[in-house]
Amino acid sequence: MKTKLLQLGQVFVSLLILFSCIGNDPERPLGEYDRGILIMNEGSFGSNDGEVYHLNPSTNELKPDIFEAANGRPFAGLLEDMVNEDDKMYLIANTGKVEIVNPGDFKSLGAVTSGLDQPRSLTVNSGKLFISDYGPYDANFKTPSSYIAVVRNTLGGTVSKKIAVSRKPEDLISFGKFILVAGSEEGKVEVIDAEKEELVKSIEVEGNPSQFFEIDGKIYLFSSKADEVVIYSFHLDNFTLATSNWYPIANATGKIALSNSNTLYILTSSGWPNYEDGIGVLPLFGTSLQPKWYEGSGFYGIGIDSSKEEIYVANANGFQGNGTITVLDKSRNTVRTFDVGRGPSGFMMK
Amino acid sequence: MILLVWAFTFFGSDIQKIDTVGLQEIEVISPAYERFGQGQKSIKWSQKDLEAYQSRSLADLLVDQSPVFIRSYGPGMLASPSFRGSSAGHTAVFWNGIPLNSPSLGQSDFSLLPVFAIDQASLQFGSSGALLGNEAIGGSVNLKSQAGFQEKSSLLLSQEFSSFGNYQTNVKGSISGKKLALQSKIYHQFAANKYPFRNLALPGTPIQEQDHAQVIQKGIVTDLNWRISDNKSLKTSIWLHQAEREIQPPMGSSTQDFQEDQALRWSMNYEVFKKKSTLAFQSGLVREELIFNGIENNTSQFILGGAWDYFPTEQLSFHSGARITLVKGDLSTYAATDERLEIFQSAKYSPTNRLSLSLNLRQLGYGDQLVPLIPGAGLDWTFLEQKNQSLELKISAGRGFKVPTLNDRFWSPGGNPELLPENSWNVESGLHWKKNSFSQSLTFYSMNVDNWIIWLPQGSFWSPQNIRKVRSDGVEYQGSMKFKTGAVDWISQWQYSLNRAVSLVGISQNDPSLGKQLPYTPRHQAGLSLQAQVQRFSIQAQTNYTGERKITADNPRTLSPFFLADLGISYTGFSISKIQIPLQVRIQNLLNTQYQVIYLRPMPGRSIHFTISFQL
Repeated sequence: MKTKLLQLGQVFVSLLILFSCIGNDPERPLGEYDRGILIMNEGSFGSNDGEVYHLNPSTNELKPDIFEAANGRPFAGLLEDMVNEDDKMYLIANTGKVEIVNPGDFKSLGAVTSGLDQPRSLTVNSGKLFISDYGPYDANFKTPSSYIAVVRNTLGGTVSKKIAVSRKPEDLISFGKFILVAGSEEGKVEVIDAEKEELVKSIEVEGNPSQFFEIDGKIYLFSSKADEVVIYSFHLDNFTLATSNWYPIANATGKIALSNSNTLYILTSSGWPNYEDGIGVLPLFGTSLQPKWYEGSGFYGIGIDSSKEEIYVANANGFQGNGTITVLDKSRNTVRTFDVGRGPSGFMMK
Repeated sequence: MILLVWAFTFFGSDIQKIDTVGLQEIEVISPAYERFGQGQKSIKWSQKDLEAYQSRSLADLLVDQSPVFIRSYGPGMLASPSFRGSSAGHTAVFWNGIPLNSPSLGQSDFSLLPVFAIDQASLQFGSSGALLGNEAIGGSVNLKSQAGFQEKSSLLLSQEFSSFGNYQTNVKGSISGKKLALQSKIYHQFAANKYPFRNLALPGTPIQEQDHAQVIQKGIVTDLNWRISDNKSLKTSIWLHQAEREIQPPMGSSTQDFQEDQALRWSMNYEVFKKKSTLAFQSGLVREELIFNGIENNTSQFILGGAWDYFPTEQLSFHSGARITLVKGDLSTYAATDERLEIFQSAKYSPTNRLSLSLNLRQLGYGDQLVPLIPGAGLDWTFLEQKNQSLELKISAGRGFKVPTLNDRFWSPGGNPELLPENSWNVESGLHWKKNSFSQSLTFYSMNVDNWIIWLPQGSFWSPQNIRKVRSDGVEYQGSMKFKTGAVDWISQWQYSLNRAVSLVGISQNDPSLGKQLPYTPRHQAGLSLQAQVQRFSIQAQTNYTGERKITADNPRTLSPFFLADLGISYTGFSISKIQIPLQVRIQNLLNTQYQVIYLRPMPGRSIHFTISFQL
């Protein structure tokens, strides 16, 4: 789950205003899926059964497989990320393609179907798509040839250039003509000039940087270490680190959700042998840190509906079938649960 | 010349009590699973039955002529069997009595078992751990290759040309005297598999040509049958097989995976006939190498065993023995060994020609674990026998088990050494009616599989656990008929199976899969074949129906049912001098049905296959 999924309501709107890379197409009438909650279901490895569900939180009506319903064909990929930029919805499949749909009705607008290996996320800048990609696995199951793929058309097409970056790039975020890349495996933030399609700077950070988010025009980065998480901010005039803050939240997975009150909800997992999952709460500008705000097992995604102050926790149910969403209130009480698609991994609140 | 006749002469009338089975012109003592498998459904194919499948895989044979569902990922790709709703690992596979399932994966890929390499095949349905041992939970497949004592030499060259850039070459030679018979087969298959399919993953769902599914398979099988003396015989076979496969990605993926499989299989059976008994010693070796994208995994199994059959009276027979299996795995993430010792005992009592009862027991230990005693029992009772018809009742009950695979126990990370064996109970009852050349059978079964192992995500990796419990019930109906109209000889076979296989225990109490049909397990399957022969000209039609399959355990997405039809025409009247030249044209998927057995794995449409053979 990527930053774009965490940009909630107002934050998302502010992004649209702030970043010049966002297009200024004529206004279009709101579609059914322009409101509500989009639930990203990753799908199961080898099955390519990723899909998007839509929830109307007012009526609790849940629509399954909205991509297939709109286009008469399955999504056919493992859905890694959803990015809503340039008045388009980009569905990134880590199986090697990007589908581009109308955000209102999910009708297909285009696609990138070749030249990619394991795409992770995307941003639109200078009228182009920049797609982070792990690159191919080598014989040792490593990804030494990671890159940012450039597609010179926001409606898809062919990959025209691959910009080499550090191993396993994840999230991307645009600022002006520049793009910041979270290099998760080598602990780097790399800066790309979108116009020149070149890597112009590399910043060393601690841990495994995975997610960018934006508050009041500032860009922040979430990075996780074994026993703590680190939140960085940047000087956007020269792309240097502005602030670095460490917080004692152990076993963070890299999946986070940001509330309107600037509180991060962070998925954690102890891993082997006890497999204790949980949610840590980190007020970015407060002091009431709660490393174990909520505990359970099988957590695979998290989101926040700020309008209702409800936390959405996705459980993949072992990928044996469909996943389950548990909705919590601020007091950790279960409001409701419902089944969604296979491997639910993220949410987009609209 | 005929082994049994020879044995009969030597031992007098006692040998008549040994169950025998026809095999070409020689008769041999039949395998224990046939003699002591009373009450269990079985299907058997002779060498002649297999002739029509000489350029095809065991998976194709089972799809056409059995109720076993084959989970096929594409032509030449992984094809794993599902007997009665069980998983691929719940099928025991033997070649000349040697287990073939990979000890690391716990299953066999049936697309890598060419029918040309074998001379006989049979299926045993249901759990029969007592008779067949490890992995015989849903059923078992027994393959046999054997040189026959035909007292002549023969040579066959067969070449098939097919659509999509595919072809296959088979060569078979045999020589036979009174004491020694030798047979060798060489095969080479090249399948470009460049077939068109509708790519559902792309905008506009264009028709594309499959471009990463090339398969090359080649191998050699040599069988030696040696009658050492009047009461001793030795059979040994060696099978080398190699496959190189581009792994066909699912629609929506552009992976370029490549897999190489190499196997060395060797079997040896030494038999000594005595007055009221036979002694049989068996040894075998299976070494496999699997290289996936350059990552190598090696396994080997060495088997040594012996069995003693005793026939004290006409009504009683006993079978007892022991087997040691040494397993070694040298895989990309671990190295492990496993030693297994099993002892088994079977008894059959036939108070009349119409009634036979059997009891089978097996005890197996592996590592420091002991699998609980595995029992099985069955009954065959022909309660109606008239001049031209008979009605037989079959009843059986038995347990099955599966030792966790090496990967289950030792894969790093995630392997779980504490896993218990999967185990099952199976009961079945069947009625078999024969009237002249018309026969029908109806079998009811019920099976419980407990401690079913599933791999679940545990943090950053997956780990297997004994979690699922499954109940499988069903009905299998099959029939056959031979008749003649004018100059035309007709043979027809048909079958239908109904299966309900559901999870009783899942990963949690609220597991949405509880009570729902297992994924990739059709409830309905049916097949009908019809063959007409006029002198040397014959035409065969084969149709199959496969019902809808669920993709996941909780059933929200289904794959549509599909109906397939094949048509074959053959003529065996050509010859040049002493060389016979049979010709065959086969059209597979005659109706050009677009279908997927596994979600997003397109299968080929209509294809034409032309085969010419030269037989001396």
